[in-house]
Amino acid sequence: MSFADKIVSEFELAAKNLNGEKESSLFAMRKEALSSFQKLGIPSNRHEEWRYTNIKTQLPETLSVLSGNASIVEKNGFNNFKEIKATRLVFFNGVFSKELSSIIEQTGVTVGSLKEHLHHNKPVTEKYFGVLVKKYEEHFSVLNTAFATDGAFVHIMKGVTAEFPVFIIHLYNSPENFTQTRNLIVAEESSKLNVIVDFQNLGSASFYNHVSEVFVGKNADVNVTKLQTATANTTAVHTLEADVERDAKFTCTTISLEAKLIRNTTNVRLSGENSEAHLNGLYYAKGTSLIDNHILVDHLVPNCQSNQLYKGILDEEGTGVFNGKIFVKQDAQKTNAFQSSKAILLSDEASINSKPQLEIFADDVKCSHGAAIGQLSDDEIFYLLARGIHKADAKSILTYAFASQIIETIAIDELKVYLDNKLKERLHLDF
Amino acid sequence: MLSIKNLNVAINGQQILKNLNLEIKAGEVQAIMGPNGTGKSTLASTLAGKEAYEVLSGEVKFNGKDLLEMSPDERAREGVFLAFQYPVEIPGVSVTNFMKAALNAKRRHFGLDPIEAKDFLKLMKDKMALVEIKKEMMSRSLNEGFSGGEKKRNEIFQMAMLEPSLCILDETDSGLDIDALRIVANGINKLRDKDRSFLVITHYQRLLTYIVPDVVHVMFGGKIVKSGGKDLALELEEKGYDWIKEEVAAEA
Repeated sequence: MSFADKIVSEFELAAKNLNGEKESSLFAMRKEALSSFQKLGIPSNRHEEWRYTNIKTQLPETLSVLSGNASIVEKNGFNNFKEIKATRLVFFNGVFSKELSSIIEQTGVTVGSLKEHLHHNKPVTEKYFGVLVKKYEEHFSVLNTAFATDGAFVHIMKGVTAEFPVFIIHLYNSPENFTQTRNLIVAEESSKLNVIVDFQNLGSASFYNHVSEVFVGKNADVNVTKLQTATANTTAVHTLEADVERDAKFTCTTISLEAKLIRNTTNVRLSGENSEAHLNGLYYAKGTSLIDNHILVDHLVPNCQSNQLYKGILDEEGTGVFNGKIFVKQDAQKTNAFQSSKAILLSDEASINSKPQLEIFADDVKCSHGAAIGQLSDDEIFYLLARGIHKADAKSILTYAFASQIIETIAIDELKVYLDNKLKERLHLDF
Repeated sequence: MLSIKNLNVAINGQQILKNLNLEIKAGEVQAIMGPNGTGKSTLASTLAGKEAYEVLSGEVKFNGKDLLEMSPDERAREGVFLAFQYPVEIPGVSVTNFMKAALNAKRRHFGLDPIEAKDFLKLMKDKMALVEIKKEMMSRSLNEGFSGGEKKRNEIFQMAMLEPSLCILDETDSGLDIDALRIVANGINKLRDKDRSFLVITHYQRLLTYIVPDVVHVMFGGKIVKSGGKDLALELEEKGYDWIKEEVAAEA
């Protein structure tokens, strides 16, 4: 039995225990997603989108996609970023932990466990859950729709500005599971929201498949920061699906500093005129880490703009993958789309596979992309050496400087400080 | 302090310095003048240890130690300082962080603990005043968007912070207006000390009216062809370099 077949049989096993739920539209959606997964399976590197990231060989077939037993995590057994004033939602192996979470109440801001809201907040979840995953139907996102039972639910009402960021922390420590977690983030018209999604591996190894669906309503402003900074020995697929409506703005920053293998797929649909998307990323692959960023910005309507700014550091035998797609559909005149991918290789064994991909069907657009792969500049290194700084430190300082441009874009100061320190720690810098 | 004997240096297979000899004693200020392309900057870069400069033969002793055996960073920690003609812009590294890294590298080299934050700030403040640098510049990225004058002042500021024993100033006066030149020169003069030597490389005499040298050398064709006192600089300013070229040609 293949891994995919085993997964399908697990679905049937889980369905037996659902009783009355089987008649729900949610279950119908899960069944439909499962049948899509049956067609797609787990991709091998023969699949174009997975050519440089051989996920199939990295997922042990013994893994179970059903929720494992959530053992107990101590209050101080993980980083809860207490220096940042925020509403905190903590999930352990995909299950909401009320004890570890702390919610700052605000009228018009609803946050909590997706599991609860799927049952008790159907007007919202039925309208949004699974909708964006269906747009592109990818291997792991449909798998997630079929199985994910819990994750964060964030809903901001029309015209409301969330006073504090929503900090979503996903903790994992179950090496026997391919844990499926899901976030649903809905920002209604003219609302404003800052979300941080953090992933931490607390176990010997973690495998998970995470999907976030983000709806950015008309004239809304949503900023998502994804942190993969405590994710050593983690094999994970992340899919973020966003839909950006008229006059809205979506910003997403993905910081990946630790991984065994992490794939970040970010699909953004600019579906309303005059909307914009800013996608920034920083990844640092050291040891034998592989970090893969696949981005799609889909310009569907006229007068929208998008920016992609990604920077990668590849050290030792680290591998990076960057695939940045910009689609400009026929109607999307006056599109302004920009993409920049820069990577530096710090060792001869490190590698990066970088592929910009522009498909433009409109004739009045401004699109540009630049991909640069290089080493640190000899002149810059020499300048530091000439001041007595050791060569290894000089390289670290310049690598830090290269990366800091992305960290500078982070909107929350305390988070910027955390990332700055984390980066310095990774680079063994002590200033 | 510095003793150079029969130094031959090539870059990209082309020999630039030819049997160059130079002696600098502690506390001396020596100037090297000469037309463009005679190897003045090659000498500066070779002393600092820039990789592209290949030493074919010769000897350089710095305080009795073999300078050519040392890596560029080791030379700096031992007390050689090169004020660059074109300081590199490094976005993302603040002047403060850069200086802290450099100063602590030197302190560790001499078995000292990293400098206390309070002492570091005071030291920065004192040295900034020396070259009239504003506090805001310290949090800016190193040389990024600095004017020509700011870059050169920043070089002298770094020199003041690191307190080297041999300061090599490579065309520090180039691109400076008269006010910036005065500030930079004043900064340098305040750093003059009986234990500190200066090698001032310049194309023009005007810097030397502010920083009065003990010895002036004229470099041509990769070697020093004439040496004299401070008046030699004035003579060169007045007569240009052609008469030197003719003298050299006549001797050959």
